[in-house]
Amino acid sequence: MNSGSSQSRLRSIASTLAVALTLVLAAAAGCDSREEPELPSVQEKMRETHIYGQSKLRIGVATNEPLMGELRNGQHVGFDVEIARYVAASLGYEGEQRLEFVSVATEDRIPSLQGGTVDLVVSSFSMTEDRKQLVSFAGPYFVTTQEVMVPVRLKDKVRTIEDLRDPAYKVCTSGGSTTEAELEKHQVKTFVVKDVGDCVDGIRKGRYDAVSSDESILAGFLASFPKEFEIVDMPFGTSELLGIGVPIGDPALRDLVAFFLQKSYEQGRDGDASPWQTAYNRTLGPWLKAEKRQPQPLEVPKLVDFDDKAPAK
Amino acid sequence: MPVAEPAEPVVAAVEPGRVRWDPAERRARASQSFWTAVVGVPAIFSVLRLGVEAGGELQTTLLLVANVGPVNLLAGFLTTAARLLSTGLVAVFALGAVLAVSADRLPPGTRRRPLFARWADITPAWVVLASFLLALITWPLLYLPLLLPAFVAAFQLRPARLHERVVPRLLLIVALLAGYGWLMLPTMRDAMRQGDEWLVLALIVVPPLLALFVAGPLPGMVIRPLASVTEVAVLATLIWAAVPVITTPVLPLTVTTVGPESGPTEDVRGHVVTTDDVNMVILQERGGVRYVPVGLVRAQVLCPSEEELPRHQLRIHDFHVEDSLLEGMGRRVRPVHRIDAACRTPA
Repeated sequence: MNSGSSQSRLRSIASTLAVALTLVLAAAAGCDSREEPELPSVQEKMRETHIYGQSKLRIGVATNEPLMGELRNGQHVGFDVEIARYVAASLGYEGEQRLEFVSVATEDRIPSLQGGTVDLVVSSFSMTEDRKQLVSFAGPYFVTTQEVMVPVRLKDKVRTIEDLRDPAYKVCTSGGSTTEAELEKHQVKTFVVKDVGDCVDGIRKGRYDAVSSDESILAGFLASFPKEFEIVDMPFGTSELLGIGVPIGDPALRDLVAFFLQKSYEQGRDGDASPWQTAYNRTLGPWLKAEKRQPQPLEVPKLVDFDDKAPAK
Repeated sequence: MPVAEPAEPVVAAVEPGRVRWDPAERRARASQSFWTAVVGVPAIFSVLRLGVEAGGELQTTLLLVANVGPVNLLAGFLTTAARLLSTGLVAVFALGAVLAVSADRLPPGTRRRPLFARWADITPAWVVLASFLLALITWPLLYLPLLLPAFVAAFQLRPARLHERVVPRLLLIVALLAGYGWLMLPTMRDAMRQGDEWLVLALIVVPPLLALFVAGPLPGMVIRPLASVTEVAVLATLIWAAVPVITTPVLPLTVTTVGPESGPTEDVRGHVVTTDDVNMVILQERGGVRYVPVGLVRAQVLCPSEEELPRHQLRIHDFHVEDSLLEGMGRRVRPVHRIDAACRTPA
């Protein structure tokens, strides 16, 4: 009898504790449901950027690099342009009226970001440590290598870096590019012009004998003049990581661009048609020797977005 | 199945100066007030919501009243308030049943049974069951484990009901807990990895264990304080939780691109009240009503609101923990939800 009553008392104490704990948990759950997300959201980041509230987004692109960034019949086309359009649309700038493409020469990419004439630069911009002191990069969105393109008449004569050092051949490249520095490192004397397009023009007019630049840029000119040129595979050894240039004072915009590149990367990785893949297939894809995939962007922040609850599969 | 013991036949008999009700009449009255509440509360809430949505402006409220149909209003209210409603009912029935079963331990001389206990007594079992079903499909998955002790309490399912002998009873409990553990293990592992999700872990692990003891009866001395405290707490919670329900918009949020055929455009962020042959009437997010000529409307997109952003990055078998079962199933039917670019631009 006594043990029965003590057991029942024990049970009623356990019941009391259980009821109290359930109520506490419920209260905690209620408070939790009213809290703000811990991670920053895309919307919050948007409010931190310098473009928030701006009616137009200005993006610096090349206008004379076929396949990458080109002005054809008044329309901006190319891989860089398509990537720029995707990023702009993700940031809320869709359609020609809200997007302004600004022609930026290779050497003007950093000054135009610093000077605030453009909000972003998508123009075969290699991410290097030196440049990272001056501008921020989101990416890479493309990995390419440095190559040399020669006119067909020289395709058997210029095969190695050694051949390029021969003073008989005039090697041309664009100023302010990574190629210029790389050629200098290999003691190749170069003629530096404004854009790679000027080099190609020069070769066709007989002023130069070879042009060196990123494979993706050269592939564009090869596509324009397939019978006149040939790309020579040279072991320059460095890979170029192309990134999207962002003003160094706007880390929020850099984070957002990286976040949207990552979104495209994840889509492609899951086997869906990603914006990157579509851009690639429409422009560079058919002209590159080896099939390429979107590289994984670096330093991507964790952000909360509206589609986070969508099923993964 | 009765919820708890049936009501005592003549409760009010001993109180002088009170009208005597026989049980049948009492039940009829209860049913009447129940249906009055079912119809009246949503109606009052909906009108309050319209006032808030209009930004407190009388003319705007009248515009909304003129254009939002009662059916839309009620449906809109139910989609946002079902969660709150079921929470209130579940809390009342669970607490009521526990208090009712402990009521005979009340100190002698206490005449009235606690309020929730009386409510639980007169509520038909199907109403209780319906409230739990409503909670099951509308609560976020993360909070569903809490429904377990509540259900056990409301229907007084003590472990003894599982099996009369101790060993099979223990085996059954272990098997049930193991099944639950298997269901939740991947989520718990994720929560551990994320480090700061202690509340989530507690919400998953603790409630099933509480369910073993929660059914009562409680010791006599805690019944009174528990009854009073929970009555106040439930009322306070309902008021506190009703604020977001009142402030949730009645109309969907859209961004409308406005501008002439060839010329600059403007994005108007707000809720479309109505569209006729001449104008589209938009209640702007920042306040104020805008009449946009129909010919100037270039495009329109539906946008999510920032309250819908998730707080946790956890899933239970690919269902997001902050989705209810209904929402989770919905996402399976229409898996991809693209946010339109126009939604990102500021108001």
